[in-house]
Amino acid sequence: MLIYLPIAEMSANIMTLIGMGGLVGFMSGMFGVGGGFLMTPLLIFIGVPPAVAVASEANQIVASSVSGGLAYWQRRAIDIPMGLILMSGGLAGAYSGVQLFKLLRAMGQVDLLISLSYVVFLGVIGTLMLRESIQVIIAARKGSPVQARRPGQHSWILRLPFRMRFRRSKLYISVIPPLVIGYFVGVLSAIMGVGGGFIMVPAMIYILRMPTNVVIGTSLFQIIFVTASVTIFHAVENQTVDIVLAGLLMIGGVLGAQLGARLGQRLRGEQLRALLALIVLGVGVKLLLDLVNQPDELFSLTRMGVGG
Amino acid sequence: MMRFTLAALLVLMPLLVSRPALATEFQNVLVTDVSKDQISIRSNYSGETLLLFGAIDTQPYGEADGVVVVLRGPAQDIILRKKNKQFGIWVNGPAYTFGDLPSFYAVASSRPIADLLPNARRAELGIGADVLKASNLDPKTPHPTPGESEAVAAFLRLKQQADLFAAQSDAVEIIHGKLFRAEINLPAGMPVGAYTTEFFAFQKGTLIGYQKGELPVDIVGAGHILHEAAYNMSLLYGIFGVAVAVFMGWAVAIIFRRR
Repeated sequence: MLIYLPIAEMSANIMTLIGMGGLVGFMSGMFGVGGGFLMTPLLIFIGVPPAVAVASEANQIVASSVSGGLAYWQRRAIDIPMGLILMSGGLAGAYSGVQLFKLLRAMGQVDLLISLSYVVFLGVIGTLMLRESIQVIIAARKGSPVQARRPGQHSWILRLPFRMRFRRSKLYISVIPPLVIGYFVGVLSAIMGVGGGFIMVPAMIYILRMPTNVVIGTSLFQIIFVTASVTIFHAVENQTVDIVLAGLLMIGGVLGAQLGARLGQRLRGEQLRALLALIVLGVGVKLLLDLVNQPDELFSLTRMGVGG
Repeated sequence: MMRFTLAALLVLMPLLVSRPALATEFQNVLVTDVSKDQISIRSNYSGETLLLFGAIDTQPYGEADGVVVVLRGPAQDIILRKKNKQFGIWVNGPAYTFGDLPSFYAVASSRPIADLLPNARRAELGIGADVLKASNLDPKTPHPTPGESEAVAAFLRLKQQADLFAAQSDAVEIIHGKLFRAEINLPAGMPVGAYTTEFFAFQKGTLIGYQKGELPVDIVGAGHILHEAAYNMSLLYGIFGVAVAVFMGWAVAIIFRRR
């Protein structure tokens, strides 16, 4: 059954969209990641203009992070002051990202910006995840427990001025690093249509030294606000948020996430991570090949002032 | 980035310039109508076939031996970009601006339009997307650069591939030189706006009848509201999108927690 997407200005199959939402939701539930970094490329692969894919996916992530975040809220596993500071940086980053997006869109280079960002981040994250999970798997075979990775010292960063006490994280650190991290992730969120948890979570653990029990909740907390602002900024500046598209992805996404979360609990963590790493690398390689190989059609048409 | 208004556009001009006002006597020869007085794009729109038909008054000039129907979409400014390889990857390079060209252009005719009347005359009347290509070869026009010629060809090709430029030479049926019916296929992704219909009747290559009409194409229903809101009330639209998402996320969290 076809449905007309009023902003993407194309017809797409409803079941394909719900199915894609379900598949990515399933994986995100199973692996505990946001899934935006898989959904945006998938939307581009089925022909949604990249600019619309990014903005609509940000809208969908608001829904999935609210539903995920509520559980952490009730468990009091959110460091709210930290979340608000990350969010402040994130809002500024989202604004900058959308402005950059708008500028490059006028120059006809936004698709390139999106693709390159994805190739770089999927490549780096996929490689790191794959390496770590393979090390764990090999170590488990040998029967020797793996040493938890000892991150380097970053304490001088945390001792910058404007220090603040974060009681739930049991930290007394400068607000500058969380602001900078929030800003950086906000920019990525606006350009890539992701929540940015895959950057935020490691940054919180290894740079801010937050205890792991508040990391995911706090990350989701700030993702809600950052993706909400990305959605609104894109709607205002670029008119690229397709609510019909986002809504269909939400339906599939939330259902898939519930199933995935249940299945995920029964599977081994490091094998899951290796599998996810392969998927991430696969998507990254596909995007890279699309950039490197000569396209079948060298020309493209864009309506002045609108379109992808 | 290179960006310039296409000099070769001059060769596309026949499509754009307002044609010499066609005498009203021509208009009295043709009585025409369209199967629909407006096209409504609903959320499940997948294209349709439009029927355009009419009668020819044979009193003034006799029977018609050729009929051409043109459906033209609202004018658009289009940017054509060509990818080239830089630092090992394919990126958008030269940009060509095609200003004020019809977003949709379909010609239905009773015979191949090239057989009906000479190219120069077709260019005058604005009949046929291929007039563009043909007049491109016209020695009188200033010579476009190879890049510009290639851009014009690519523009036409992409428009045809998207079913936005079309020519069908057997889509008009003439009955006894007095009645005719034409079919034009409308694609699913047709641009919205004010379309014009034009009907031409010919006798041995001479225009004997002309008629013009309007055909609005609009998105209707929820899609229309969302489309309008997205462009005219962007902030509200964005907030609405976020509100839907928050509600959906919250509702799902509640539903699944109960289990």
